[in-house]
Amino acid sequence: TRAVASIFSRPEAWSLAAEPFKLLGILDVQNVPCARHSILYGSLGSVIAALGHFLFTSRVRRSCDVAVGVFILGTLGCWFPCRYNYAKQRIQQRIVQEGIKNKILFESTHLDPERKQIGTKSDNS
Amino acid sequence: MPYPMQLGFQDATSPIMEELMYFHDHTLMIVFLISSLVLYVLILMLTTKLTHTSTMDAQEVETIWTILPAIILVLIALPSLRILYMMDEIFNPYLTVKAMGHQWYWSYEYTDYEDLSFDSYMVPTQDLNPGQLRLLEVDNRVVLPMELPIRMLISSEDVLHAWTVPSLGLKADAVPGRLNQATLTSTRPGVYFGQCSEICGSNHSFMPIVLEMSTLKYFENWSHMMQ
Repeated sequence: TRAVASIFSRPEAWSLAAEPFKLLGILDVQNVPCARHSILYGSLGSVIAALGHFLFTSRVRRSCDVAVGVFILGTLGCWFPCRYNYAKQRIQQRIVQEGIKNKILFESTHLDPERKQIGTKSDNS
Repeated sequence: MPYPMQLGFQDATSPIMEELMYFHDHTLMIVFLISSLVLYVLILMLTTKLTHTSTMDAQEVETIWTILPAIILVLIALPSLRILYMMDEIFNPYLTVKAMGHQWYWSYEYTDYEDLSFDSYMVPTQDLNPGQLRLLEVDNRVVLPMELPIRMLISSEDVLHAWTVPSLGLKADAVPGRLNQATLTSTRPGVYFGQCSEICGSNHSFMPIVLEMSTLKYFENWSHMMQ
């Protein structure tokens, strides 16, 4: 109870969001969708690319440049597809939510979505 | 709801605010990457003893740092314009409410069906009840039905004000002699706070806006009671 009371004594904890962790003080990777995933894959890609470049060329400075370049490109390359899929998922979620609401509201009435479908199928057969 | 030392947005209550938050995430990621690149270049510049004092031209890098920012700006502008036009769509509002700014309070008029109008003054700090929010509570809240598009017509009787509700992503200037329109749709019930956002005199900070979004039944009962 003391833990619960301490959580609810802080208004910022009332939201379902996790404790924010901001990279460079601006990008909250915990709460921005796809951010953590993109930054992690970008970092992993940049480390592998930089190490590989260094192993092949033994050039430290150029390897660091490769690391930064791959980090930026890798992060963006993960970010855009992830956000696109997230937006598609959100639209589908809204459609499903609306469908569930209509089903509950209009069940057994002439506006029941399932009744319309059954009616269409029997017309087609 | 707002809380002390808050840096980020409040939770989104309208679809437009959700879109604005996602646009903010998109732009912030771009800003983060550019900042990382600039930080790296800064460190590189500061950690070398090499200099080149006779640079005359650098066509390749000039081309890159002209084209690349243009591409980045287009990547930011396209979602921005999409949301801008989305905000201007009109969805056949069920209700029209007029918000008039005064020095230093708001007055609201619900004149679609019957004449209902009232003033909304801030509750002074010494009159607050325990649990109420300082500088945000008002004597008469704007009660509205949720999940229905509502047209807000905003104007002013004296000087410039601005009617703002951050969690709905709404801000519109209240200009004397002009009507500004905003469309409001709340996806969930609750109490949403805002504050005047255009300097309007000594009590500019003390004329808040409070929306109470609830069911249509509650709204109907409230409007009967207020008449």
